[in-house]
Amino acid sequence: MASLSATSLSFKAPSIQSTRISQVLRKPSSFQSISFGRFQSSKSLRLQISCAAKPETVQKVSDIVKEQLALSADTPLTAESKFSALGADSLDTVEIVMALEEKFNISVEETDAQNITTIQEAADLIEDLVQKKPAA
Amino acid sequence: MRISVMSQMQQRSFSIDLPSLVPLQLPSRRETHLWYILPDEVKSTSLLNRYSQLLSPNERDRVDQMRGDELKKNALLARTLVRTTIARYQTNNAVDPGSLMFKKNMYGKPEVDWQNCKDCNKQPLHFNISHTGSLIACGVTVHAPIGIDVEDKERKIKHDVLTFAKRFYTADEVNFLATKPDQEAQRKEFIKLWTLKEAYVKALGKGFSASPFNTFTIQSTPGTEGGYSLCKTSELTANPMEETEKYNGGWKFTLLELADSHYAAVCIEDDEVNEGGPMKVIVRRTIPLVEDQLISERIFL
Repeated sequence: MASLSATSLSFKAPSIQSTRISQVLRKPSSFQSISFGRFQSSKSLRLQISCAAKPETVQKVSDIVKEQLALSADTPLTAESKFSALGADSLDTVEIVMALEEKFNISVEETDAQNITTIQEAADLIEDLVQKKPAA
Repeated sequence: MRISVMSQMQQRSFSIDLPSLVPLQLPSRRETHLWYILPDEVKSTSLLNRYSQLLSPNERDRVDQMRGDELKKNALLARTLVRTTIARYQTNNAVDPGSLMFKKNMYGKPEVDWQNCKDCNKQPLHFNISHTGSLIACGVTVHAPIGIDVEDKERKIKHDVLTFAKRFYTADEVNFLATKPDQEAQRKEFIKLWTLKEAYVKALGKGFSASPFNTFTIQSTPGTEGGYSLCKTSELTANPMEETEKYNGGWKFTLLELADSHYAAVCIEDDEVNEGGPMKVIVRRTIPLVEDQLISERIFL
């Protein structure tokens, strides 16, 4: 996961007073990978996983999202559905990720968890993690 | 071209008809103004249409992207609250809330774009917004970055609270939650901590990645009601309670309840001059352009 870890930077915040200065010095590419999902910013340039997820995965993710957000069964969800457009806040997103971890028996990095903004992104990440798990 | 002129004309004629927003003095330093809307109190379609006129085309698009009428309405109310709240503080001349412009900082945190706003005078205002299905809040300060987060007190957590906390919070916070007598008490404290931690990350304005939840601990400050302080995990000793007086990290936290139904956490950057001093929070409930109600003025130590 070397390439993924390069893009999902986790900043060890230095003492609070110095962060303002260090912001200015950050190279432009370094903030592209940070998603600020709750502010509905334009989607960050995430490293794209090579293959799109299988339809079954997308369906399973949709089911979990519907349950977490208490959406009615006939709410139209597509792979492109954004969590925020469905009314999910950051706590919902984290709960969804935890449910996905349980369902698929994977472990999602905290920074990746907060970067997921659509059903497709969740499904893609899941398949990538499932694929990379050591064989049982 | 013609369409935008027409909509500008529409906006001007609307601003003559609407009652003007009661102008207010800017908050003083160490003072936070917290405004909230209860969506259930806004039912009139014509009022919602008037609000819609205040939004930029981009904002209207984003409102339309929300799935479902209730989510659309709340998204509309959220933008209305931000625009009308900020417009109140233009004491030199009445500003049409529709003329405010917004931009994002390099991490995506929304800010007022004073330069591109035709009628505005630049104000050292900071704001932050938070919403739940049943309450939308906007906090405003002067000279200090602010983050707020609101949460329904009764919000149910689908996972076991301690498991959730072990995954995302710090060890000290988990230990604190574990001391609570029952699951309901744990759930409440978990929610309070969530709002406080969210408020901090939003005040910092650098995105979740810059401050993962498990890198800082927030705990209540002894001897205060609703006062909290921040410790970085590396600085905690074996007895965390002894640390609370020492290091505030330059950020001031308060937790209050709104409308008896929601926890609201406010985090503002501490003033170097007054570091550690009290913070005043003035809470008002509003139906923009219709009524404002002063709810409380409280000093938090």
